[in-house]
Amino acid sequence: MTTHDITSIGLLHRQLFKAMQLEHATAPPYISALYSIHPGDNADAAQILRAVAVEEMLHLTIAANVMNAVGGTVDFTVAGFVPSYPTVLPDGEHDFEVGLGPFGKDALETYLKIERPAMAPRGQARHVQIKGGARHFISHPHDQTLRYYSIGEFYAAIRDGIVYLESEAKAKGKTIFTGDRAKQATAEYYYSGGGRLWPVFDVDSACRAIDLVIEQGEGELKQIFGAEGEIAHYYRFDQLQKGRYYQIGDQPGQPTGREIHVNWEAVWPIAVNLKLNKIPEKSELHAAVADFNKAYREFLAFLTRAFNGEPKLLLEAVPRMFEFRNRMQQLIRNPLPGGDCNAAPTYEI
Amino acid sequence: MSILDRRAIMVDPGVLKNSGHYDAIIVGSGVAGAIIANELAQAGKRVLIVEAATETDRSFKGYSSYLQHFYGQADKDNQSPFPVNRNADMPRSGQLRKLDPLEINSTSYIVQSGPYVTDTVYTRAFGGTTIHWEAKTPRMLPQDFQMQTLFGQGKDWPIRYHDLEVDYELAEREIGVSANVEDQQYLDITFRSSYVYPMHGLPLSYLDQRVAAQIDGSEVELYGERYPLRVRPFPQGRNAIPNQKYDGGKGYQPVGAVASHQIDVGGRCQGNTNCVPICPVQAKYHAGKTLAKAFDTGRVDLLSQAVASRVVIDSASGRVTGIETKLYHDPASPDHHTIMITGTLYVLAGNAIETPRLMLASGLRSSSGLMGCNLMDHAYLLNWALMPQICGTMRGTTCTGGIVELRGGAFRRHQATFSVDIHNDGWGWATGSPASDVVELVDAGNKFGADLRQAIIDRVSRQLLLAFMIEVLPSESNRVSVNPSYTDLLGNMRPVVSFTVPDYTLRGAAYARQFAKTVFARLGAEDHTKYDPSDYGFVTYEGEPFAIRGGNHLAGTHVMGTDKATSVVDTNQRCWDHDNLYLVGAGSMPTIGTANVTLTLAAMAFRSARNMIMQLGRLHAPVQT
Repeated sequence: MTTHDITSIGLLHRQLFKAMQLEHATAPPYISALYSIHPGDNADAAQILRAVAVEEMLHLTIAANVMNAVGGTVDFTVAGFVPSYPTVLPDGEHDFEVGLGPFGKDALETYLKIERPAMAPRGQARHVQIKGGARHFISHPHDQTLRYYSIGEFYAAIRDGIVYLESEAKAKGKTIFTGDRAKQATAEYYYSGGGRLWPVFDVDSACRAIDLVIEQGEGELKQIFGAEGEIAHYYRFDQLQKGRYYQIGDQPGQPTGREIHVNWEAVWPIAVNLKLNKIPEKSELHAAVADFNKAYREFLAFLTRAFNGEPKLLLEAVPRMFEFRNRMQQLIRNPLPGGDCNAAPTYEI
Repeated sequence: MSILDRRAIMVDPGVLKNSGHYDAIIVGSGVAGAIIANELAQAGKRVLIVEAATETDRSFKGYSSYLQHFYGQADKDNQSPFPVNRNADMPRSGQLRKLDPLEINSTSYIVQSGPYVTDTVYTRAFGGTTIHWEAKTPRMLPQDFQMQTLFGQGKDWPIRYHDLEVDYELAEREIGVSANVEDQQYLDITFRSSYVYPMHGLPLSYLDQRVAAQIDGSEVELYGERYPLRVRPFPQGRNAIPNQKYDGGKGYQPVGAVASHQIDVGGRCQGNTNCVPICPVQAKYHAGKTLAKAFDTGRVDLLSQAVASRVVIDSASGRVTGIETKLYHDPASPDHHTIMITGTLYVLAGNAIETPRLMLASGLRSSSGLMGCNLMDHAYLLNWALMPQICGTMRGTTCTGGIVELRGGAFRRHQATFSVDIHNDGWGWATGSPASDVVELVDAGNKFGADLRQAIIDRVSRQLLLAFMIEVLPSESNRVSVNPSYTDLLGNMRPVVSFTVPDYTLRGAAYARQFAKTVFARLGAEDHTKYDPSDYGFVTYEGEPFAIRGGNHLAGTHVMGTDKATSVVDTNQRCWDHDNLYLVGAGSMPTIGTANVTLTLAAMAFRSARNMIMQLGRLHAPVQT
């Protein structure tokens, strides 16, 4: 009897698919909030949101690289890959909802929960009983009643699984790294701020990739700044709540850097978790939202091709993302009929 | 890695008077000053940078405010992102007019003494003019260094291409140049074997490709020699795909935005067309990226809102003893107090107008008498036409490709060379398009609504602007001077520019016009070029009219040479007259060929920094008896 959760390559693929779902799922909420901010206002908040959203995309890419490395299939077009918002994420013992909506104080609370450093306390199980039948991205690989305590624990289990499965395979003179190297997305195709991209082809490169996701996301070791001097997502957002930047040497919760002023009012009032059926049919707005969703569906298919042997397509993905930005900004400026809210993409794929 | 600005200290002026000791005082935070500050700091030296502008642009918020200011301006000229700061003023377009004979116009920051009125600009901001530069980074040709010997024109440099070759590589690393060696090996340009640029070349725009389809493989004849033409990509100081072969296979890590607190935005170029005056994503290099590294050493301090007003000399030794500096408290008020800043070495890293202006205002004309003389700037001749088909104008960076085969050749005995830019941003520079198109289509074409929108698209996306960057040779009468009648709000003397476009250049311009007509004919493009006699840059040559634009490539005013009688600085850019004073930047260049000056001046900064480190080593070494 093993203590590992992931005991077969099939289960590893299952968990990596969930990882991709999870990383993708945080992007629409962050991006909706980012574009809800009035252009030119709240430069600090907008850039923090942007930096985090870009790194979520890096994490998605890393998860896809690991999936490809261990011979799995990357397919973002599978039904249910994109969640119906609001969706549920864990924060230690409790669940909370993550939805699409404008930037604001409540939204910031949610972001802090998404990114909160929360490894299971010592001696406590890394699993938690799933309550109320919620569907979880980070459920246990084969026990559907359990989920991981936190995203960090979820990734740690994947890491353990990779190490374990590879040692088992090695003992038989085999390897789990059977994937085609040509499918790897490498540094040529991604760079932005923090984080790098490297091909995954063995235990070391896979573990480094997963560690990067953990470190950038939650700051596993409760460090504000990671090894490369980059600040973890949780602390990026914490700065907005505290109204001040962290600098090297600061204690968690006590930033001492430059002041940040957030103008909570300079935000378009976009509808929260809008659904297409709430918009009058045959209206221009309805058509525009439906068009957005269609374009997004096509984009996911395009990315799927990129991760299936055509990484060069990732370069072409960039102008497509500008297209989304333009569409999104148009929607966000248009009021919904009969309400106080503006339209927004619904991500009903 | 995010480079934090935590160690950049706004030094308390009260402390400065007694502050330990700086190995070097650098006036100006542009690319030359930044490189020298970083090189000295990496070698363990203590440096103080004195910057006339505010330092707001070091924060992400400051950079964003420039962008917002730019977005909000109706006239999006070179300086539109930068709010007016009369304490550290700078030339701006829109303030110029044609001069009558002998007239002087002192209403603009640069006093225009004529006869030619230059609309050249530079930016007095943290990071200097690299905040607005286009970031085109060609090397000079080897033949450019020997103009007198090879062609009987201009001056020879005291150093040659191969003396600068390794420093060109350092500059290309620092700026992060994107280019492919195979595209840049033309005329006599050479690269060391196995050299690759830090990043792969950016692709030619669709417009470039439309031009190339008709031009590549054709040739022109000039003074009996044939020159084959092709559209080539330019090397660019903006992030592209890093080349894994760089540095012996170690690769290159692009530098994103650094003027941001913990937030690295930007990455690779997204093809926004507003590289000039400001890249919205900081894909374009600016000196702030080098300064961030320098500040990170903990050995570089910054004194901003500090305008150097006088270089003080010990008359016996000729050595600089300090720099008198005016500290203003608010850009909106001339209130200031004056301090003396001292160090071991002094480096003036303004630009080819501000540096000689400060020297001349300090009464330092150089033994050669050449301080401020030999002012050069590329003369731009614009030619514009409508392509027969939609060409996607307004996509891509400002300029991705051009025709460079006439940068060199035997014809240089007779006339100036030029490099031709294919502009991706339409006729804007020449006509004020697209605003001018809207006015014309509404007023003259009676267009409105969807028709107007379609008409603008049809028109703008067919616009082709060929900008000919024409060589200007040194001439002592083209110069920067000062005059106590013309001062700024702080009482510092402003630069007075006297300039005549040389005939050698105008012969090149006349040929450029013919060349443009030939190209337009081959493209089937409709020539719309027109030079208005009321234009401030209007000149005639042999009866033919031209409007010449400034190039913002100022050079020559503290020329480098082999002796103190005929030059201001030596080959390390150290003043012959003052052995602890360096004047760095394009002002040291004896000629400029047809290379945008930044890469070359950056390369020279590396050379000078090495010499400064050696000089500091000698000064600090135990005295031999």
